[in-house]
Amino acid sequence: MDHSEAVATGVANGAAIDVRGVHKTYRGGVQALRGVDLFVKHGEIFGLLGPNGAGKSTLVKILMTVISPSRAEGTFLGGPVGYKGTLGRVGYLPEHHRFPDYLTGGQVLDFFGAMSGVPARERKRRAGPLLELVGMSDWAKKRVKSYSKGMRQRVGIAQALMNDPDIVVLDEPTDGVDPVGRRDIRNVLQRLKEEGKTVFLNSHLLSELEMVCDRVAIMVQGKVASQGTIDELTRDGRRYEIDLAYETETAGRHFAGMLTGGTEATQGAIVRVSAMPELEAGVERGVLILRTTEPEKVQPVLDEIRRRGLTIRSVRQVRPSLEDLFMRAVTDPATGETLAPGAAKKSRRGNGGGA
Amino acid sequence: MIQTWAILVDGYRELNSKKLFWITMALSLLVVCAFAAFGLHPAGYSALWFKFDHAFLNSRVIPPEKFYTFIFASIGIPVWLTWIASILALISTAGIIPDFVTGGAIELSLSKPIGRVRLFLTKYCTGLLFVGLQVSAFTLACMLVIGIRGRSWEPILLLAIPIVLCFYSYLYAMCALIGLLTRSAIAALLLTLLFWILLFALNATDSVFVMQRERAKAEIELYTNREVSQLRLAEGQLRALKEMGTPLSDENGKFPEGLSSELEVANPMLASTRRKLEEAKVSSTAWTRRSAIMTDVRTVLPKTSETIKLLERYMLSPDDLKLLSRQQEYKSTGVSPADASDEPRYVSDQQAAQMTEDVLRGRSVWWVLGTSLGFEAVVLGVCCVIFARRDF
Repeated sequence: MDHSEAVATGVANGAAIDVRGVHKTYRGGVQALRGVDLFVKHGEIFGLLGPNGAGKSTLVKILMTVISPSRAEGTFLGGPVGYKGTLGRVGYLPEHHRFPDYLTGGQVLDFFGAMSGVPARERKRRAGPLLELVGMSDWAKKRVKSYSKGMRQRVGIAQALMNDPDIVVLDEPTDGVDPVGRRDIRNVLQRLKEEGKTVFLNSHLLSELEMVCDRVAIMVQGKVASQGTIDELTRDGRRYEIDLAYETETAGRHFAGMLTGGTEATQGAIVRVSAMPELEAGVERGVLILRTTEPEKVQPVLDEIRRRGLTIRSVRQVRPSLEDLFMRAVTDPATGETLAPGAAKKSRRGNGGGA
Repeated sequence: MIQTWAILVDGYRELNSKKLFWITMALSLLVVCAFAAFGLHPAGYSALWFKFDHAFLNSRVIPPEKFYTFIFASIGIPVWLTWIASILALISTAGIIPDFVTGGAIELSLSKPIGRVRLFLTKYCTGLLFVGLQVSAFTLACMLVIGIRGRSWEPILLLAIPIVLCFYSYLYAMCALIGLLTRSAIAALLLTLLFWILLFALNATDSVFVMQRERAKAEIELYTNREVSQLRLAEGQLRALKEMGTPLSDENGKFPEGLSSELEVANPMLASTRRKLEEAKVSSTAWTRRSAIMTDVRTVLPKTSETIKLLERYMLSPDDLKLLSRQQEYKSTGVSPADASDEPRYVSDQQAAQMTEDVLRGRSVWWVLGTSLGFEAVVLGVCCVIFARRDF
């Protein structure tokens, strides 16, 4: 795809990132990426997650031209992947970044702003407010070597914003940052979103991502296992949990079992509630679980519970957490075991490695 | 241009943060002070406020401006800036490329809208900044000293800046390549020093070969002339011997051992001269071949010593050098130049050195600078290919 074609495609589909079939095989045959397809919309906060060695950083580095892909199609801000001209509109904070020790916080912003092609007057104008934004104004004239890890992260985020980017790519931005700092960073990200910027986050902190991301992708062993909004990804796992008042675990299972027609429900088994046979149900730790998102379908079950004289302690609508999704993605459905971390080794025949 | 300037400013900030940069600058200042403390007066020379009388080292024999220029071009630049300051510069700058390509630092630079080749070459230039600033400060200070003490304002001294930069750039290109390959500052420093020593050794070997070749050529000329004069003498002696009826060979017609003709019998020195001439011819052929091989080898390598010598070539004329070298000759032999005999009996070391100097001085600037810069361009080309293709 040439440059003009790529720009046309990127603009047409409103994608900040739209890459397909990204492959990366390192020397020695290690397949870091095995055909990644990823779509990030303009103006959203997108989270990329996955276990260690899944290829997240490799993908980010390919987008930032730090490494070259073995094969890649698609666009990044409307330009072809690897096109240097695009990078002037991108802010980037790499993982484990190391700023020169001899620079002060202010000089870091000035230097990397200049490297992004921002004129001197603009850099001077932007540096103060950005340091203010990340809470580092008082440290602007101190050398980076005197900073804590969290402070370096804050300055790193500020430098990523020096060129007023259309997209900010942050690799583990809250690494080493205390809870207050994490909240501050979340606020910065929300503010960027409000300003219409796209934020691409790569993080291990699932709860952090869950709080801010509009859409996420989960990468496992060099491939995107699933991607979409958190709502879309959790739709299948949504359920109602009815906690019956009981004194012992066995009693709880017994009561729940009564509702499902059996004498006692087995842990983890799928059963049918007699009051609503089309509904899938289960019992976990004495809690009756109804696999539905529709409250109307729950009412007959509640009526049945009351009819039998059982006490309801609580009724909750439950949505799987990002951690649940993550764990599901990294679990081998056949064996139920967690997939081995790391990338795959290319087979001798060259037809891709196994997981 | 914004990026290029930013990288250069960053390079200056990095140097500014290094203690060694300021230590070297302070030492340069000390050297300039020592330079300024030395002076010539009509009766001799002075150091600080002490005056010493000297027959030749005085302002009547050597004009003060020539003296200062000679000290600058022969000691200040070749000894201080080329050796001591350059080693300090290498120690300071060997880590620039390895640090630059280390994980955590390189990602941010590569993710900016600047081409990799331009990024690398600009970073390489920041390594030259150390020497550039040092040599500029040193040269300007020396210009002041020569202007004030020697009463001669010579802009040609500024030539030292590009020449020393050129010299250092050959070494730093190698340092950058090693740093890029090994990502180790220590390896880059040590291997560059080794490379420098190799260049120095090759240069010394080349000078020795050239000296031997020139000595052999001078000996051929010397013995050829001597043969001609001895032949003339032998012919006269032969005539006289024949007139006196002195037998020139034994009864079997054989000449005495080591002599092959009547002329040689008449003047035995002729045979000795002819033998020496033959030996000189054989020696000349051998040294000419060795010298040619060495020159070919050195053609593809940077010529550090010759590059620095260019400064002397442009600042001091051969006559100036002869004047100063005659003082040195006097110092070493104790014989006044005026007393020296005009009749050469053998090729002296001094003569051989002078001839070697003439040959080396006669080498073209293109050969000295062109081929050295060619080598540097190839090394930097390799660096750029590696840097542009590497995954970080």
